[in-house]
Amino acid sequence: MSEAKVFKPRFNPAKPAFGLLVFLLYLFLLAPLLIVFVVSFAANQYLSFPPEGFTLKWYGMLPQEGTFMEGMKVSLIVAVIVTLIVLALGVPAALALDRFEFKAKAAVQSFFLSPLLIPSIVLALGMVLLFGPLKLTNTYAGIVIGHVAITIPFVIRTTLMSLATTDTSCEAAARILGAGSWTVFRRVTLPIIQPGVIAGGVIAFIVSFDEAVISLFVAESGLPTLPVQVLRYVENSADAAVAALSVILILISLAVVVVVERVMGLRKALR
Amino acid sequence: MTESKLSIVDLTKRYAAGLEPAVDRLNMEVEEGHLVALLGPSGCGKTTTLRMVAGLMDPTAGSIVVDGKEITHTPVNKRGMGMVFQSYALFPHMNVEQNVAFGLEMRQVPKAQQKARVAAALDMVQLGHLGKRQTKELSGGQQQRIALARALVVEPTLLLLDEPLSNLDAKLRETMRTEIRSIQQRTRATTLFVTHDQDEALDMADRIAVMNGGLIEQFGSPTEVYERPRTHFVANFIGQANFLDARVGAETGRANLAGESYYRVEVEGLGQFGAVGSAGLAGTTHELVIRPHRLGVSLAPGPGPAPLAGTIERVSYTGDALAVAVRVGEKLLQAQMPTISGDLPRVGDAAYLSWAPEDAYLLPAPGAVAERLAA
Amino acid sequence: MTLLEAPAAPERPRAKNEGQLERATERRNRRTYLALLLPGLLGLLVSFVFPLAYMVRMSFNQGSPDGVIVETFTLDTYIQPLTDPYYWKVTLDTFQMGVTVGVLCVLVSYPVALFLARSTSKYRGLLIAIAIAPLLTSAVVRTYGWMVILGTNGLVNSSLTGLGLIDTPLKLTNNMAGVTIGLVEIFMPYAILAMISGFGRLSPQLEEAAGSLGASKFKVFTRVTLPLCLPGLLTAFLLVFVLSISTFITPRLLGGGSVQVLATEIYDQTTGLLNWPFAAALSVILLVLFGLIIAVYQRLTRKIGG
Repeated sequence: MSEAKVFKPRFNPAKPAFGLLVFLLYLFLLAPLLIVFVVSFAANQYLSFPPEGFTLKWYGMLPQEGTFMEGMKVSLIVAVIVTLIVLALGVPAALALDRFEFKAKAAVQSFFLSPLLIPSIVLALGMVLLFGPLKLTNTYAGIVIGHVAITIPFVIRTTLMSLATTDTSCEAAARILGAGSWTVFRRVTLPIIQPGVIAGGVIAFIVSFDEAVISLFVAESGLPTLPVQVLRYVENSADAAVAALSVILILISLAVVVVVERVMGLRKALR
Repeated sequence: MTESKLSIVDLTKRYAAGLEPAVDRLNMEVEEGHLVALLGPSGCGKTTTLRMVAGLMDPTAGSIVVDGKEITHTPVNKRGMGMVFQSYALFPHMNVEQNVAFGLEMRQVPKAQQKARVAAALDMVQLGHLGKRQTKELSGGQQQRIALARALVVEPTLLLLDEPLSNLDAKLRETMRTEIRSIQQRTRATTLFVTHDQDEALDMADRIAVMNGGLIEQFGSPTEVYERPRTHFVANFIGQANFLDARVGAETGRANLAGESYYRVEVEGLGQFGAVGSAGLAGTTHELVIRPHRLGVSLAPGPGPAPLAGTIERVSYTGDALAVAVRVGEKLLQAQMPTISGDLPRVGDAAYLSWAPEDAYLLPAPGAVAERLAA
Repeated sequence: MTLLEAPAAPERPRAKNEGQLERATERRNRRTYLALLLPGLLGLLVSFVFPLAYMVRMSFNQGSPDGVIVETFTLDTYIQPLTDPYYWKVTLDTFQMGVTVGVLCVLVSYPVALFLARSTSKYRGLLIAIAIAPLLTSAVVRTYGWMVILGTNGLVNSSLTGLGLIDTPLKLTNNMAGVTIGLVEIFMPYAILAMISGFGRLSPQLEEAAGSLGASKFKVFTRVTLPLCLPGLLTAFLLVFVLSISTFITPRLLGGGSVQVLATEIYDQTTGLLNWPFAAALSVILLVLFGLIIAVYQRLTRKIGG
């Protein structure tokens, strides 16, 4: 053959059509979050379309809305305590699961991950039944205990993931250089698995902070968390103050997403 | 005779009851300042031995003695050793200086002194200028040197190297070989070096322990294990070798000061030759080892003692050497000859083989593993 | 001599301290890992095992709508939901909702997952993150967003009336349609995540190979791409199904009281009617349904995998 033909890709109409479809599906996926942004800045007195001008009054209303502030306080306190407890319980357990050999290992690991397989409504019911007689309903202790079960799997999983990808010879090197077990953990293991621990911690925080079902069952009447307050508000009112609040909640989630994506990748942490 | 720096006595490791031991009643004496290579194929127990000496693994039985003190029960962090890992195992969250200072910190050396010693150690590996770098930014060779500095800065009782060169590319490996050896000689650190690479062991070590199946087949200097292999395994693992079964005839004289003798030996199908071996072998059957490059090849029958006539069956040209396989009767012998600029020998050509009696060595023992199987 | 012919090695005398050090280390290790596991195990015992066990026990008690619980051991609480046509309807509705949401969710997630699995763009990581990030936002907030979109004065109805396409607003909330739309979107990230993990075997080379062998675009999709995706699609469907039948927030808010599924029924029995044994029995039924589906799924995946 004397001259090669210049290869020219034929225009394929299926490609942009598929692209458009994917774009529309992304839009669908993000629609409820985007719409909340729009509504939160709209001046309409009641929820309606189209937006009639721009306002920040809904954001201004938030600090005066006692229930929101109270709910925010409860949710923050609960989420922080839950995060600390779950890290304290989960990181050592993950360490045992990765760095030691024992017979029931697979079973123990499945047990730690099993709360994710149980519908939260079922767990929530079990908790309110058990906590009622123990006088734990409507207390911080009750909500915190309730959230520990559903957040521990995340910490175990992300920490295990970090442990599995680290080189154990770093720990061996530290021991040979004279470090005892605790020093090895504090100076070598913990810094190396830090991404997994941080990812697990912030996921535990946001799962607890956003959790509504267990909180609703365990503490609706006495110590409502923010998601419970929002739930009630949405059922009863039609103004956009809750949109402003939702935007703030979304931004907190976004911060968590960014942290997790940075330290270990969202997909790895959530699979 | 000097006291050993390290004595290993009957060291045994069995990973599970009923399994063949990974290390089987191993005994070894290491002199102060020596670099000893544990050489063998994977699974021979060399790394297990090293990890037991380091304290990273418990022996099933036996003892380890350093400087006359038994340390078998001493926990790993109290043994005062230095180790370089195959993966270097640098702490990824610390910079170079912090990595090197870690062992000193653990020993609670005063800060000022730490600084000076870290700087000296980094200078020793010629990386004084990289102290503030993160370890990730360094090349493999640099990481290797940092790991060496980190192990040596604590002035370890023993320096343990676990296949430290296996992650480097071929060129760098040779540079690092020389460098590790020269640093080791300067610091006079008694060193155990695990490797599966015979060239590395021959080049660097004062003594080589050739291991196979959890046992030491031979412990000796590089020339000893190469020139005077004790067993078939050693001769075969280190360098290349032709093996011939020989009936040992009469002793024909003293060969050297080491007490070896010349013998007349007979190899079935090839004839009678001169060979060398330890005293008292007359009348027995032993294996004869001849290295390919000690086998003289000529393409025409020349003068000298009657050479073996054969036919070239394979020719392999590698630039600096020419390997030929010569068929003599039933036997196929491997030989090497220098390359020549003229015509290369071709398959089917006639070739004439000869060797000096000094280069045909009678193996004294059938091999430790074979002995164990026969026992 | 071969290994097989070798006579058995004579029993060597064992050193008297043989294995002593190993056993000591093993004991120390066991103490260490037990100490490390214990807090977590206790935490799960208190927050997970006890509540579930107590609930199962409660389901055999005698309850009544006035909140009096008689401690006993009866199956009445199970007989009622299994015989009362109302609860059959609730269970069937729940099941039907799960199937609808599962199918729709797989349909809308598949193109996104396929796109992400094949993408070689440098923004692929970011696009994956965006697709699954909604997992970490509050279900309440996302459901609220759907109320704003689907409500009587919401985005959809305002747009349609504004354009003159309809006169009276469509009823998209306080019914199953709204709940379904909301759930499909809320579970999309789960489906996408399950699919891109399940599409591991899908490689462009396979599709190109099929193309080079003469298969048309359509044939390549139906004969190569789709079969390879099938395990991922199945996983996604079952995951979404299982999540849908147990979800509470969205049916409650978007259903506005007129959508009754098992989860809302459990809530009403618990907080409204205080019939705890009955709520517990419904929960156990839900759990059994769950277990069955997971068991079926595992058999199916084993079949497909083998």
